[in-house]
Amino acid sequence: MIADTIPELRVQSSPTVVESPPSAVDSFSDHELMIAVRAGEIDRLGELFERHHRPLYGFFVHLTGDRTASEDLVQLVFYRILKYRHTYRDEGRFSAWIYHLARKVAADHFRRRSAAPVGVEPDDIHAVPDEAPHAADRAVAADDTARLHAAMAALDPDQRELLVLARFQRLKHEEIARLFDISVGAVKVRVHRAFKQLRDSYLRLSREPTS
Amino acid sequence: MNCQRIQESFLDYQDGRLDPAEAAAVREHLKTCLECQREWAGFQEIALKLDRLAPEEPSPRLRTQFYAMLETHRRSADSRSPFVLMRSRLDRVFAALLPARPALQFAFACLLLVGGIFVGARYLHPPGPAPAADEATARELADLRKQVNSMGTLVTYSLLQQQSTGDRLKAVLATLDLKQADQRVVSELLGALAFDPSVNVRLSALQALYPHSNQATVRAAVAASLPRDPSPLVQVSMIDFLAATRDPVAVGALESVSRGETYDVAVRDAARHALAQL
Repeated sequence: MIADTIPELRVQSSPTVVESPPSAVDSFSDHELMIAVRAGEIDRLGELFERHHRPLYGFFVHLTGDRTASEDLVQLVFYRILKYRHTYRDEGRFSAWIYHLARKVAADHFRRRSAAPVGVEPDDIHAVPDEAPHAADRAVAADDTARLHAAMAALDPDQRELLVLARFQRLKHEEIARLFDISVGAVKVRVHRAFKQLRDSYLRLSREPTS
Repeated sequence: MNCQRIQESFLDYQDGRLDPAEAAAVREHLKTCLECQREWAGFQEIALKLDRLAPEEPSPRLRTQFYAMLETHRRSADSRSPFVLMRSRLDRVFAALLPARPALQFAFACLLLVGGIFVGARYLHPPGPAPAADEATARELADLRKQVNSMGTLVTYSLLQQQSTGDRLKAVLATLDLKQADQRVVSELLGALAFDPSVNVRLSALQALYPHSNQATVRAAVAASLPRDPSPLVQVSMIDFLAATRDPVAVGALESVSRGETYDVAVRDAARHALAQL
């Protein structure tokens, strides 16, 4: 019966993009490190960089579809952390603050380009190294990934940002709600819509014959 | 829950972020709703594909550039002063000691407030009315009142010293307005009655002495002035005054006037008449 198979259908997601937050190993929390940076110990920013530059890079790549630009944007975020370190508040969560800065940096980037981000060129995206050893399977996987990226690029900038934060950066609904200044319920609805939109675009691209 | 609510919670359901009751509701709904089953399958397909996307790795250039920027910033920034280091350590101590979450901060502040109120109520006594201050204030008020009362008296004194008859007359008449003239005013009036060269001033002084006729000294002084006064008009008025007081102390003066040949007839008649009244 289908009812019996439903629990098995549930796939536990594996957050492969985001690194697990370093907590037990490191002696200082992000917040404590940032307090030290704010007080003038700017060397401590190196530790924050090591913890956060990969997730941030992933955020920008998914948002812009441009790897080189994403590296520059990550650099810009850390530059702004240094520049605006005095505005960091004690009560603020560091992750919320860093994504607040990242969103502003991304918005500036899109404004500079004075257009919506260009669609990702499939050639620019490397496929997931698939476990299947066959060349044909790898080609199929590469096509699939390129379609997924293209579907992401087809989303509205706001939808894409929301989806990336919720799905790739694994931010909690409450954190996203604070970032966007909307209610948690609105976050859920918008993420759902973005997800649905992504799926529709992906399916449409899948039906189109590949050139 | 309706289909839309169910589908909106797919993401949380898949991540295991729904509470058990909500997760059970989604499971139950999926057993019976074909449309949601289709949506769920499509959702999972995409979610799986997204999760299997390779993690994006930045090139080594990013790290190199970051540390170059940090180095530049460190060089440009002045070397850290002991004050900055101390502040950093203090900041860290406070960050470790004090709660970071706003709700806890609020609770902590409330606790401090309640503690403060308790300690204040327990160890501090409310400031009672200061008796010393009140006494001093009362004294000051009494002094002020006295000063205000004596103001009219002072004016009178100064006016009585005036040389002009009109001014002296005014001063005497002003004493009529004083509700409670003190002894000094009375003696000034008696002085005016006895020695002022002006008949009008002496008459006015006598008039002003009427309210004080209950004082024996006033009656005696008027009786003493009676034989000496050069004006029959003032003498008759004095006799009327003494007759009105009905004080036997005036008998001697009245008798001497009534028998004195030098006195005006009208004065002697008035004195006899007054003696008859007494």
